[in-house]
Amino acid sequence: MKFFATTYHYDDPWSIVTLAFFLRYPNPYASHVLSCDVVSRSVSPSGTLLTTRLILKRGAMPRWFPKGIVTRAESWVVEETEVDPIGRVVSCKTRNLDHVKIMQVEESVVFKSLPDGRTLQHTEARVRSAFGWGLTKRIEAHGLSKFKANMQRSREGVSLVLQLLRQSRLQPLGLGPESTLSLPAPPPSSPVGPSDSGTPTPDCRTQNTWSSRLKSWLRRA
Amino acid sequence: MADSLAPACTPLKQEYDSCFNLWFEGYLEPTLANATETSRKAHYARKAEEFEAKCGKVYKEYQACLQGAVKERGIEPMLQQAREEHPLKEAPPLLPKEKK
Repeated sequence: MKFFATTYHYDDPWSIVTLAFFLRYPNPYASHVLSCDVVSRSVSPSGTLLTTRLILKRGAMPRWFPKGIVTRAESWVVEETEVDPIGRVVSCKTRNLDHVKIMQVEESVVFKSLPDGRTLQHTEARVRSAFGWGLTKRIEAHGLSKFKANMQRSREGVSLVLQLLRQSRLQPLGLGPESTLSLPAPPPSSPVGPSDSGTPTPDCRTQNTWSSRLKSWLRRA
Repeated sequence: MADSLAPACTPLKQEYDSCFNLWFEGYLEPTLANATETSRKAHYARKAEEFEAKCGKVYKEYQACLQGAVKERGIEPMLQQAREEHPLKEAPPLLPKEKK
């Protein structure tokens, strides 16, 4: 088992970071996210919001991985989130549902409001393989390095959505022309090798779709 | 507002997401700094009712569409198992209509 933990600070307040986190799909850094559905949502008696989402992600096997074992390089992921608006904490746990014998990745993310108005993000990951054939360690190391690379991109995705939310709050929406929300430059292409096509290369076409969808929602707000 | 796993459910999903997002922004607002436990509970109970009143109908339609798609694709047993091993402290109560 490989374990990894890291913290990060957002300069924005907790409520807007939480909103951006919920709105993060789609974004040009997450073109590997094929679908995302809410399968359960409720407000608990204590007032927290519980959400279960089912997400389909596209991945890719490394070149050294034996051929013919995984025919479908896609993975179902379940994401369980609890939002505590009183304690100003979001906790989110994610894990893959299939290919678990090859590799199980469990991610835990916590967003906490800080007294100085910023938001702390604490991320933990556990990568476990039960594959055997002398490949267990290599699979775990590969899984962890991909997790780290994807985490960076996921953060950039959240930051991009944050930027749009910030702009939308500064400008009165529904009054200005469509162009008043300016988009940042498209993100640079993926820095990783061809075997890692699971790490998304941003696509301008998807960017137009995601941003117009987000903007249309912001306009309604 | 990503697509649904079933293209047929995407319009309902997006309608539901828009409804949720509007409600969620209000839900996240810091309120009641000096409120009592009781008034806080009442506040979030009202929020839950408000959500049900505003988004309940489209949520049910979306879930009905989605459940058919989940069954068709054979994801259900996998999802059920994951839900049973729920990592959260408080298990979300399944809505009655989510049961088969």
